[in-house]
Amino acid sequence: MNVLLFGPELFYLGMALVLFFFSLQRRVQVERTYWAALGLAAAGFVVALYCLFQNGEIFFRAYKVDLFSQIFKAALALGLFLVMMISRNLAHIEPRYHAEFFFFLTTCTLGMMMLVSSVELLTIYVALELSSYSLYILVPLRKGDGLDVEAGIKYLFIGAVSSGFMLFGLGYIFGATHSTYLSEIIPRMPELLASPIGLVGLLLTLAGLFFKLSVFPFHFWAPDVYQGGANQVVTFIATASKAAAVAVILRLAMLGAKYGYSFTQALVVLSIVSMTLGNLVAIIQKDFKRMLAYSSIAHAGYVLIGVITFQELGYASAVYYALAYLVMNFTVFMVLSEVATDGQDLKIEELAGLYSRSPLLTMSLILGIFALAGVPPSIGFTGKLLLFTSAMNEGYFWLVLIGAVNGTVSLYYYLKVVYAAYFLEPRQGPLQLSWPTKALNWTLCSAILVFGVFPDGLVELARTAVRMVL
Amino acid sequence: MTEHLASFPYLSCMLLSPVAGLFILLFLKEEQRTLIRGVSLVSAGMAFALSIYTFVAYDKQLGGLQFVEKYEWVKGFGITYFVGVEGMNAPLLLLTGIVIFTGVLTMWELQDRVKEYFIFQLALVTGVFGVFMSYDLFFFFLFYEIAVVPMYILILIWGSTRKEYAAMKLTLYLMAGSGLIIPGMLLLYSSSGIATFNMVALHAVQFSPWIQKVVFVLLLLGFGVLAAVWPFHTWSPVGHVAAPTAVSMLHAGVLMKLGSFAILRVAMYLCPQGFQYWAEFMGLLAAVGIVYGVFVGLAQTDLKYVIGYSSVSHMGIVGLGLATGTVDGLNGAVFQMFAHGVMTALFFSAVGFIYDRTHTREIHELGGFSKIMPVASAFFITAALCGAGVPGMASFWAELLVLIAAVQVFPVRGLAAIAALVVGALFALRVVQNTFFNKPNPKFVHFEDVSPFLGLPRMILIGFLIFFGIFPQTMVSLIKTSIVPFIKGM
Repeated sequence: MNVLLFGPELFYLGMALVLFFFSLQRRVQVERTYWAALGLAAAGFVVALYCLFQNGEIFFRAYKVDLFSQIFKAALALGLFLVMMISRNLAHIEPRYHAEFFFFLTTCTLGMMMLVSSVELLTIYVALELSSYSLYILVPLRKGDGLDVEAGIKYLFIGAVSSGFMLFGLGYIFGATHSTYLSEIIPRMPELLASPIGLVGLLLTLAGLFFKLSVFPFHFWAPDVYQGGANQVVTFIATASKAAAVAVILRLAMLGAKYGYSFTQALVVLSIVSMTLGNLVAIIQKDFKRMLAYSSIAHAGYVLIGVITFQELGYASAVYYALAYLVMNFTVFMVLSEVATDGQDLKIEELAGLYSRSPLLTMSLILGIFALAGVPPSIGFTGKLLLFTSAMNEGYFWLVLIGAVNGTVSLYYYLKVVYAAYFLEPRQGPLQLSWPTKALNWTLCSAILVFGVFPDGLVELARTAVRMVL
Repeated sequence: MTEHLASFPYLSCMLLSPVAGLFILLFLKEEQRTLIRGVSLVSAGMAFALSIYTFVAYDKQLGGLQFVEKYEWVKGFGITYFVGVEGMNAPLLLLTGIVIFTGVLTMWELQDRVKEYFIFQLALVTGVFGVFMSYDLFFFFLFYEIAVVPMYILILIWGSTRKEYAAMKLTLYLMAGSGLIIPGMLLLYSSSGIATFNMVALHAVQFSPWIQKVVFVLLLLGFGVLAAVWPFHTWSPVGHVAAPTAVSMLHAGVLMKLGSFAILRVAMYLCPQGFQYWAEFMGLLAAVGIVYGVFVGLAQTDLKYVIGYSSVSHMGIVGLGLATGTVDGLNGAVFQMFAHGVMTALFFSAVGFIYDRTHTREIHELGGFSKIMPVASAFFITAALCGAGVPGMASFWAELLVLIAAVQVFPVRGLAAIAALVVGALFALRVVQNTFFNKPNPKFVHFEDVSPFLGLPRMILIGFLIFFGIFPQTMVSLIKTSIVPFIKGM
């Protein structure tokens, strides 16, 4: 077996081990732990990029390495690295838990990397749980005011329930098709068209992933977890974890491609409800992270639009959008955690006067927010328009109309952020940024603009990748 | 349409010069005000010069689409970067150039957050240039949105009079319009069967009548919001009043034209049968807008509101011209877009100057202002005369063309529009009288008149108004080169 096929996973396994030893140390060395974790995460991204064009199957065909999975692995590695970048100041996590914090982030990444490569039901489940359990621990790791406990318990319970649904669904699929390999299940799925078992099994299976992506009706955890978790953990949940969920949903939804009306209609309804609910409830939020939680529910709805098409272009735009979402959402969260220097929850109005406190952060915030709102020439605009285009190609006129109207609704609460940052007078002094943060700001801003204006390279890559799945 | 490739990327340069200015500004410090203004002026000036060049160098004998640049952009979705100039957008590019250049000069005295102001203004104008020159639907819409969104920040920070309300209202109205445009535009794309956003290629496709009807009305309403088509105009007077001077100029002068231009360029061009079906409706909305704008404008006491409502009625003339679907009507409509753009820019520029000094725009407070600032008042009065349609000004010819066509096609609506305009002219003169020729307000006696440098932008605007008033043929013959084939293709 070529080691490179399993390269990124091996690397992150090793990285987890190193961090594990750090956590055993009696003397707490915050700085050293941080730099080690950051360095390893950077190396991990390089490894993931190096393995981008690997191709093959391992572990008795349960594990498929192709461009599709490798793109998402690179995205996950990037997500981890970016989260590490803003973890210099972990104000709300006790110093002696810092190593654990990095350790669980790494295992979570490892789990998600395995998730995007798994093409066998049990492997999918195990990988999913590996990533979920790490997050169950990370969420309540924040010290404080009881909010963290509520968040942790909600996340665990809703996660456990949706895992239960998923297992139940996997059982149905296995029972009806006598296989746990996706490649064997797909040709047998049409046989189940006449009975509801296939459809029910598939929808229940997807439930576990809808939980990750916070699609209605598995979104209830999102606002509380976003608000209660440490800023860095939430950033990770809001970026990398979503990208991984999109990848697996794209793989699993193919099981239902032949189902036509009943399956797609279910997804259409979920998509519409998610984006409408998310956008409407986000309007009344005062807490910045809560608002972003509802906006993430809405974005989950947008991504589903691409899934519903079951076509190359739709899938490619869903991949593009997932990657775009990672970048733009991270940008907003980075600003959030830079402004919340002591790790507190940030009210939207606490962004007041950011334009004079730190013009650079304001620029990033505006670009990130506008990208989320789908304003050109950002990556979010292009992504959304590509999604709508591919859905319209499949004749979903009403879905696109509702999506477009939702875009208008969402603009209202995104503009409230812009309003606070640009218009309100500052109540605190200027913010000092370290040079790596400055560099990160510039990089993210240019990424949002460059990939928004020149999307071709990324779209072509995504198209090549999704051909492996279709 | 014949396409003539550009020997040099004039259009891309026009598009990129504000972008380049914007990026330079990003790296300047707020304190370097003179440099910031200088950079903005140079980048606006380059765009202005290029827009004059394309206007003059357009070969009327050759016709068709000139200065074309075409690059494949996103292969998978059939998106191309496709820009060009023809008779109907050359005047509008020129208009944008004029307004941005004079706009930068008008804002020369700005003291508050100068750097950010010019960054957003240049971003906005990039979008405007982009819309006027794009022949690819994707880019058209992309630039359209770029032109709309910076308005929010521009009004919010540098505006006046209920600016928070106005900024949010304007943005949400316009984005709601986008919510209709996206499905309409994508329906065309997906039902064409050729998977391209290239408008010239889409024009060749015969869409089924019901698709044309659905798409046309979606686009008409969606773009109509920006064109301040009655009854979706309510954001526009509020927005104009709240916006800072140069933004009002850009907005009323250029941005509203994006809406009507898009109706012409996208909706009518791609859905001719849809247009036939909805033309009556469109004419009705336009005529109501003309009458409504004139009469509501009469009741206003704030000068900017007067102009805001007069814009609604003047944009109604554009709409009426488009609705006729005749050569004269379309000619007049495009000419009116240009003339009204320059005229409103002059209006807002003049009012802005007065407001900066006196901090009031109330007609009765200003009183006999021409005795205090004769030159500043003269700018406003010239604009008012132009708005009233006095011969010798550009808008006279434009309105004449539209109204002749309108009376032929929709006699009742046309006559109603003429009646409304006559009443409007009457009252415009009363506004002028009350504002400028009554007893001067002693509070304002000590103000100095416009210096030659600050008067320069207004002089440029007046120059264009009078030039095209005296030589309307230069404009009409140019517009005609594209309108005649346009109507044939419908």
